[in-house]
Amino acid sequence: MYTLYLKIAIRHLLKNKLYSFLNILGLAIGLASFTLIMIYVNYERSYDTFEGSENVYRVYMDYKKGNIYEPGDAQTYNLTGPTIKRKFPEVLEQVRLYKFDEIVFTYNSQVFKEKNGSLADPSYFDVFGYSLLKGDINSVLQEPNTIILTHNLASKLFGDKNPIGNSIFAFVGGNKTMLRITGVMDNVPETTHMKTNFLISYSTINTWNTFDKYERELNWNQNHFFTYLKIDKNANIKTLKTKIMTLDFSDNFDERHNIEPLEDIHLYSNKPYETEINGSATRVKFLTAIAFIILILSWLNYINLSTTKSLERAKEIGIRKVTGAKKSQLIIQSIVESVILNLVAFLLVIAISMLVLSVYNKITTGGELILDMRTIKQLLPVFGIVVFGVMLASLYPAFLLSSYKPSKALKGKIRTSTNGLHIRKGLVVIQFVATIVLIIGTIVITRQINHLQNQPLETSLNNIVAFSGQLLTKKDSILSTKLELMKNKIKKLPNVSHVMTTQTFPGDDFMNLSSAMGIIYPDGTNNNNKVYYNYEINSPEYFEMMDMKFVAGNTFLSHSTYKNRQVVINEEMAKMIGMSNPIEAVGQKIKFWSEDWNIIGVIKNYHHFGLKKPVIPLIIRHGRVDNYMLVKFDTTIISTSEFMQTITQIENLWKQTFSKSTFDYTFVDKQFDAQYNDDKQFSAAFRVFTMLAIFIAALGLFGLSSYTCIQRKKEIGIRKVNGASVFGILKLLNIDFLKWIGVAFIIAIPIAWYTMNSWLENFALKTSLSWWIFILSGVITLSIILLTVSWQSFIVANKNPATTLRDE
Amino acid sequence: MLLQLKNVSKWVQSGGQNVFLLKDINFWVNEGDFISIMGPSGSGKSTLLNIIGMLDHFNEGTYTFLEESVHSLKEKHRANLYKQYIGFVFQAYHLIDELTVKENLEMPLLYKKQGSSERKALVADMLDRFNIVGKKDLFPSQLSGGQQQLVGVARALIASPKLILADEPTGNLNSKQGDEIMGIFKELNKEGVTIIQVTHSEKNAAYGSRVLNLLDGCIEC
Repeated sequence: MYTLYLKIAIRHLLKNKLYSFLNILGLAIGLASFTLIMIYVNYERSYDTFEGSENVYRVYMDYKKGNIYEPGDAQTYNLTGPTIKRKFPEVLEQVRLYKFDEIVFTYNSQVFKEKNGSLADPSYFDVFGYSLLKGDINSVLQEPNTIILTHNLASKLFGDKNPIGNSIFAFVGGNKTMLRITGVMDNVPETTHMKTNFLISYSTINTWNTFDKYERELNWNQNHFFTYLKIDKNANIKTLKTKIMTLDFSDNFDERHNIEPLEDIHLYSNKPYETEINGSATRVKFLTAIAFIILILSWLNYINLSTTKSLERAKEIGIRKVTGAKKSQLIIQSIVESVILNLVAFLLVIAISMLVLSVYNKITTGGELILDMRTIKQLLPVFGIVVFGVMLASLYPAFLLSSYKPSKALKGKIRTSTNGLHIRKGLVVIQFVATIVLIIGTIVITRQINHLQNQPLETSLNNIVAFSGQLLTKKDSILSTKLELMKNKIKKLPNVSHVMTTQTFPGDDFMNLSSAMGIIYPDGTNNNNKVYYNYEINSPEYFEMMDMKFVAGNTFLSHSTYKNRQVVINEEMAKMIGMSNPIEAVGQKIKFWSEDWNIIGVIKNYHHFGLKKPVIPLIIRHGRVDNYMLVKFDTTIISTSEFMQTITQIENLWKQTFSKSTFDYTFVDKQFDAQYNDDKQFSAAFRVFTMLAIFIAALGLFGLSSYTCIQRKKEIGIRKVNGASVFGILKLLNIDFLKWIGVAFIIAIPIAWYTMNSWLENFALKTSLSWWIFILSGVITLSIILLTVSWQSFIVANKNPATTLRDE
Repeated sequence: MLLQLKNVSKWVQSGGQNVFLLKDINFWVNEGDFISIMGPSGSGKSTLLNIIGMLDHFNEGTYTFLEESVHSLKEKHRANLYKQYIGFVFQAYHLIDELTVKENLEMPLLYKKQGSSERKALVADMLDRFNIVGKKDLFPSQLSGGQQQLVGVARALIASPKLILADEPTGNLNSKQGDEIMGIFKELNKEGVTIIQVTHSEKNAAYGSRVLNLLDGCIEC
């Protein structure tokens, strides 16, 4: 019996190759897109989850802006954690982390750089649910000058040997210290905002001369520490939050502490001084929405196609009934067919997902996405719903057909009730709505990204390379002389136009920019509650090199000494200190860090952190800094090989000057553009999935229109015999679809407007939601739909009425 | 007596008026009869045949089949009755396109849940009897109309029904093929199978033992 079912099912699928292909393809693409998006979404949402992570909170600083507090800094004071723990019993444990920007380790002859690691209190393992593989959990991180490595880092350094007891050297800013390895911890997963490869005991802060006394002393002045709290799971978080917010810590009412759940940091936190560029909840929500839209579309599509097709099989069902099939047997047959179809689609889904994932993992550098048991378990209920839905879709025609009298079914005279037709029309309208919304979304997102990239930056980053290195010897007195000598040599290289050193540059890490509060304006106003930023450069050439334009005043005098305390500010800063015209600012004095500073120039606002963020008030100081060496090349260089040749020459000079040093470089424009990578990827993903969704919707439409054509074959024949033209018939067949598009358009516009408007809220500079975007999306949808529908209609309209009429 | 129709009428509503498809039909069939129903288009021949085959309902009258009152039976019982005793042959053959000749023949047996060996024997029997052993693995589309109708007849017979209902079985065939099918019917009838056929052709009607003339839904009115 079941072999017969299988036989009929398989032969039927093979016979109707186009139909089976469309149906399986639609289902497979839909489910695969859904699976892939959900794997990504799950990955994003799995950040910072471990056993007990729901009770861990991060403390951050709110700064007062006007009358309201805004998240101002992800880092807190070294007193924050201990104070909160002492005052509030529901805080079970606290841990402070001082994250290193970059640290260089040496062990025997090995030299290696590590970006991810911190100073950590011994309570680290009480707060974070990671496990210690080797070492004594009660004593690790207690003693100064001790370090814990992750398993990966330990095996990179020591292979299979036990690293415990060995010592390695660490360098930060030319300051060296020796660290004894006291433990090996489990690898910290990629899915955390605080990537960690090593932990150095917090007490090392007192012995290592890279830290100054301001960082060693417990104080309420310098906030460089990430603080995490483990809170009693029965505690009332709201109450605790209020208590922490109203904590009186330094008579400073312009800032306060606040807490946020650890698990929310990756998706919801976007404060200054985060450890990395975090994800975006909006993006995740958008992708989830697309995933479900695609899923629903492919489901609707399946329903449309399979109902349509099974109605064509009325005759076959009639024969079966006449030859003795029971209703249940007919229904089983229907189910067997859909099971086969789904099975094929499902295998395709797995194949497509694996393929896409392997390609994706190859081209992205971040964490690997995998289809693991956990994801499968999470997706299972959704798949269950889908399979159930598909079953339902296959049962509908089975019930419908088997309830007809065989004498009618045999004549193929089955018409669905108007109800059934209404349902199908409703489904198609939903598909149109989704299509229009997605098209509008694609246009708006693409426009926004272009809008960002076409904004004037007011600085030019082309042909500039930032070099940096970590000295592995003690800083000596002749270091700056050596550096000057090297800079002069580099300047003489062919193709080099500028060389200088600086603290930071546009697009560089937040960590390298200083933020401060408390400034006295030229008119004597003492403002303590506005954040401003500053950095130091070493050469007056900087502005010319970066193509930053002065609106008033000029750059530092080349022979002025650093002691002159000259600063250049941007327009935003000029506005902040109460200058209506930038020219007024020149020559004025401002006071911060207990010193007077002379404003000698005002530059046009430029975007230091990319165009997503608003322009910040900025002070650029003239100083002796040497964080980075910026080298600008002549615009005459075009080939990469020429570039690389000069960079190699610089590397050689560097190695001659500093025999023991690391050497790094980065192209400034590329690093700046990297800030938009997430948005670009999002936009690309949105485009791809939109196209897939439209494709699936078109499949469903194709099904519906072919059904309509079959149903109206006779009518069309009669009309043609009575003189209707092909065009007239096309009009007749397409007019319905036009009406539906109209309805869909009206429903789609407010949805699209609302969602895109809220997405644009993420950007400081937004593109406009012009009316033509909506019209254009309508026109695109209309043409896609008419093309799909007309293909069918055209065939039917051109059929010889003699053949269509004879069938009846 | 195999079946009897008493005062059977069937009508449809059209524009507020009853239009009679069949009117006051009285009619009986004995086992072993070979009856031809004749009449012009629209006279109700096919409707009558569908009612006899229990595929269609009627509005008035009684229908007794092997002592069972068909008109008062529930749908399910009625279906069981025709599945057990009646075989159908159609003008357009109505074979399932996706199944081979052998599988088409096997289908009614599968629905009756007969054992595999029995099925095989019966199918082999039929193939043999109708001389289509060589065609058993072909699909309907690979056969001529006459061959398809042979399969149709064989399928109707395979579950050994008491009654065969044939709706213009030769309507789509040329005269030679038609004669062959009629010959088979004649033979079957001799073996004791009751046959009711609808036909337009006097020649085919002559194969039967009795002719029923329908005009506007009435028998000889």
